[in-house]
Amino acid sequence: MAWEYSEKTKQLFMDAVHGKPGTHMGEIEDADGLGEHGSIACGDALKFTFKVKRNDEDPTKDIITEARYLTFGCTSAIAASEALCIIIEQKKYTPIEALAITNSDIVDYLEGLPKQKIHCSVMGAEALDAAIFDWAKKRGVDLTALGVDVHEDEVDDGRIVCDCFSMTEPYIRRKVKELELKTIPEITDAIKAGGACMACHHKPGGLQDILDDIWHNDVSGHGVDDAGDVSGEPEQLSPYQLGKGVERSMEEYIRPMLQQDGGGIEIIDIKDTIVYVRLVGACAGCAGAEITLKNLVENTLKERVDERIRVISVGA
Amino acid sequence: MKKIIYLDNNATTLVAPEVFEVMKPFLTDQYFNPGAMYDQARNPAHAVSDARKSVADCLGGVDPNEVIFTGSASESNNMAIFGSISANPKRRHIITTTVEHPSVTEVCKEAERCGCEVTFVGVDKQGKLNVTEFIKALRPDTLLVSIMHANNETGVIFPIEELARLTKETDRCILFHTDATQAMGKLEIDMTDNFSNVDMLSFSGHKLHAPKGVGALYLRKGTACRPLIYGGHQERGRRAGTENVCHIVALAKACEMAMAGDMQQEYKQIVSIRDRLQVALMDRIPYIQVNGLDQPRLPNTLNIACQFIEGEGILYQLNEYGICASSGSACTSGSLDASHVLSAMDVPFTAMHGSVRFSLSRYTTEEEIDTLIDVFPGIVKSLRRLSPYWDVAKDGPRENADIK
Repeated sequence: MAWEYSEKTKQLFMDAVHGKPGTHMGEIEDADGLGEHGSIACGDALKFTFKVKRNDEDPTKDIITEARYLTFGCTSAIAASEALCIIIEQKKYTPIEALAITNSDIVDYLEGLPKQKIHCSVMGAEALDAAIFDWAKKRGVDLTALGVDVHEDEVDDGRIVCDCFSMTEPYIRRKVKELELKTIPEITDAIKAGGACMACHHKPGGLQDILDDIWHNDVSGHGVDDAGDVSGEPEQLSPYQLGKGVERSMEEYIRPMLQQDGGGIEIIDIKDTIVYVRLVGACAGCAGAEITLKNLVENTLKERVDERIRVISVGA
Repeated sequence: MKKIIYLDNNATTLVAPEVFEVMKPFLTDQYFNPGAMYDQARNPAHAVSDARKSVADCLGGVDPNEVIFTGSASESNNMAIFGSISANPKRRHIITTTVEHPSVTEVCKEAERCGCEVTFVGVDKQGKLNVTEFIKALRPDTLLVSIMHANNETGVIFPIEELARLTKETDRCILFHTDATQAMGKLEIDMTDNFSNVDMLSFSGHKLHAPKGVGALYLRKGTACRPLIYGGHQERGRRAGTENVCHIVALAKACEMAMAGDMQQEYKQIVSIRDRLQVALMDRIPYIQVNGLDQPRLPNTLNIACQFIEGEGILYQLNEYGICASSGSACTSGSLDASHVLSAMDVPFTAMHGSVRFSLSRYTTEEEIDTLIDVFPGIVKSLRRLSPYWDVAKDGPRENADIK
């Protein structure tokens, strides 16, 4: 699908490729901070460098004066890199202040990005963080002591599995293992992947494939007979006893009750602990009455026969 | 050339002129691949996403991502069944009916070869599904229920809402698929309301005045179903192949048209023509039966069995008058098998071979039906005169006519 780039994105891209004055393509020699993100293998990579005006008394008060990038990537990756440098130079941030720049600041500056391209802005933010960590190391600033979360790169490189949340295969794999996630709903609850359009659940290379691979699930269908896992509760009624019990309760309690109102009930089938019934006579066809009666029948059977019983009402 | 009276709309329909118009640009200058990056690709890409939105709206305002465009309803049915099987390896049982379209029946038989077990639930003489038998068929390892919404031969409508509810109340993990090819555009289908328990729904374009070669599968979010066609990112990785843009916009336009008009109004109009035809033929011809008479039926379908004669002869003579219809007779099927639907309904052989299906459309006129009413009794009479089972003198069957 043709990408829907904003005018701003297109303009930044065109300015950059034509090397218009004021654009930021390049690499600073002896940079105070250098950060990289991405790789040629995953289709985009960004090398980000900046220079500071040093504050000799307190390195945390250094001011970023110049920022440059080298980007291997698509239109929006280049525009995002450009946007990152512009934002930083304009604000005259200290590196620690610059840590507050997030990918959504970049998206806002670009006046929006197609959702398949959000990862370009994430890449910018990640490279910036990496460069600042590099600066801190060089200048002897202990970021952790300043309360900064020196996180590991949270967006790994690799094939994107969940488009909606831009989640890559390595990241999902790591989380699946770490958190012992066994099902798609567990993945979604834990890391959001697969929670929006859900198309990645069962597509080739999707979430189910990752789960099957990690947990060595047997997907051939051979030799599987554990469906309908009957929990091993002791003291269960046999099907015969359960059927007898249901029939008896029907005769003794339920039918007389319904007959008072001119109605009746027919058992269609009993499967495991599900009793399928059809209401006949006065009560049939009235939706409200049907629900009330279904509950009445179900509660009576639960009480008198087996508390696991469920009643399903079958239409006329 | 004589005027055509087209009464075979359950087989295919004419392409609505409005539908043809929206296709044209994509057959000529708008040929760009919607997956391409350049500006020119934007229009076709938008056309596909707008079409997806339209179809989603017609299904009750669902998420457009739940709509997958396919090449036909047959493909949609194949994907629903094979895709469910491969996504649910721990379950191996499928429930369907004895009267499905071959794109369900044959796929289920193929599934049997691959280790699945299939229960074919039967119907009674009126074509009504045996719900007790259906309930009996539900098992702890049932993975899929695939039951058509309306039958292509008889028009009999199955209570999908009820069957899907029974299925889901029994076990939420059982997937429910319905082939709604004949019902789409004719009956109310709302995936957020009456069909909220249906996970997958198939239909095609050419039954509702779009051209052949395009279909769709509604796949509810989170349904465990793998692709049938691999090899591309299209349809969010669930159906590979460059989008068939002109057919996709045609399908969407046809859906919009089916929904835009007052569906109730159109339903009433078609039903009234169909019922007039039904009554007129029953009045004028002895020994005929309407298959599925007592059941809820599609408004446009009349399947009528003329006893003791053969359907192909009827069709041939009808065609002399420019009338196009079809038959459940063995001679008219490619395989020389009599209709499996009528067999399942236990329609006697003496009637099955003389069955004729008339299927109307919104373009069918009262005059066309008048012509049919005029000529049909004579056609039946002419064939019965030749029939070894018919006694012309008493205008009824001969003594030996019950032989099966």
